[in-house]
Amino acid sequence: MKKLITFRVNDREYEIAVAPNRTLTQVLREDLNLLGTKEGCGVGDCGACTVIVDGKPVNSCLVLAVQADGSDITTIEGVARGDSLHTVQQTFVEMGAIQCGFCTPGMVLSATSLLDKNPRPTEREVREAISGNLCRCTGYQKIVEAVQEASRRMKK
Amino acid sequence: MLLLPKFDYEEPKSLPEALAMLSELRGKGRVIAGGTDLIVNMKKGTVKPACLVSLKKVDGLREIVGENGALAIGSHVTVSQIAESDQVASAFPVLARSASGLGSPLIRNRATIGGNIVTARPAADLPPALIALGAQVELRGNGKDRKVPLDGFFTGPGSSVIEPGEVLTEIIVPAAPPFTGGDYIKLGHRAALEIAIVAVASRLTLDKPDGVIVDARIVLSSVAPTAVHAVSAEKALMGQRPSEELFAGAASLAVADCSPITDIRGGAEYRRDMVNTLVKRTLLKAYHDAAGVKGGGA
Repeated sequence: MKKLITFRVNDREYEIAVAPNRTLTQVLREDLNLLGTKEGCGVGDCGACTVIVDGKPVNSCLVLAVQADGSDITTIEGVARGDSLHTVQQTFVEMGAIQCGFCTPGMVLSATSLLDKNPRPTEREVREAISGNLCRCTGYQKIVEAVQEASRRMKK
Repeated sequence: MLLLPKFDYEEPKSLPEALAMLSELRGKGRVIAGGTDLIVNMKKGTVKPACLVSLKKVDGLREIVGENGALAIGSHVTVSQIAESDQVASAFPVLARSASGLGSPLIRNRATIGGNIVTARPAADLPPALIALGAQVELRGNGKDRKVPLDGFFTGPGSSVIEPGEVLTEIIVPAAPPFTGGDYIKLGHRAALEIAIVAVASRLTLDKPDGVIVDARIVLSSVAPTAVHAVSAEKALMGQRPSEELFAGAASLAVADCSPITDIRGGAEYRRDMVNTLVKRTLLKAYHDAAGVKGGGA
């Protein structure tokens, strides 16, 4: 039977009825049309579906939408401010940290939540923070550099 | 895309309500905590509960409470809470170390300590450390509650002494005696999202800083159907004065205490070699902590 849930996604309140067997990834993409959240492996290995739930980045493919009742969620659509990209997004673009782009939303969300709690991370801490987000194009070096550059710019 | 089969979902508001619900479901219900294991298994079709019972609204399962050097950890405490807790890091660094090696940061933000225990996977990250620390789990059932040492809790891959209708609510880690030290090493191919090829948790207690070993625990993981004690290695250490030769001897005995299989992650022969190496290393570190840190470092 469907359950009525309420949650906040990117600062907007939603009240929707969902079947218990639908994941948060599915509901974000199919019901809310927030297509920035990607589904890769579906079992928590690749991190393409990363969203921030109550301040913590998680694999949305492993969260049932019903479990997100009452939560505050940020997806990649909620990261930019109007027309201006978030500093992390900007450095990703400038420094070649995006290639095919499939991992990028998840990668950006893991990186922004790292910088929120640790504005000046070491390279090791950056690598650790994005270790649940797989990228098959960049080899990670450019991503790590982009996050470090974003940290420098945000500090100013 | 892996789709989930149909099931019901309930969020009881208290533990008695949850227990009543589970008993009414007669084994067809499953408790969902973080879900990082359960949802994967449901997507793969290996478990098919008719109803998931979430304890999200049940109070008191998400706290870490410390008293006189002991810790009581609610079953719904997340693995990242444990990995980041100063309380855990100072009292039981071995536990903090095993938590920070589980899955990825994304998984750790959802996965719970209770879930990591009840799934009873041979390569689970937290049980070896918890067993070495002498942890007990509290099981609440309809009409009867019991405390069970984690040592002996597991009966095989995926199975434990937990009965249908019982809920694991708390993990109790007793205070470490003085002159105690420990170490945990997980060997995997890469740093994140790795299932252990071999993991070893060791703990030593000395009678005084330069004294003899009065308690030795060596728990081997991923090299038997459940986490196991290296029994003969532990015996060999008891009452002895610590030395590198003693540890090397114990490590070679530990090799015979396990029964590894060959699988995609590593060969049995390699695993035996690594048991030897890791037991030696963890004992050395445990001894250094025990001799140097008053009040216990494990």
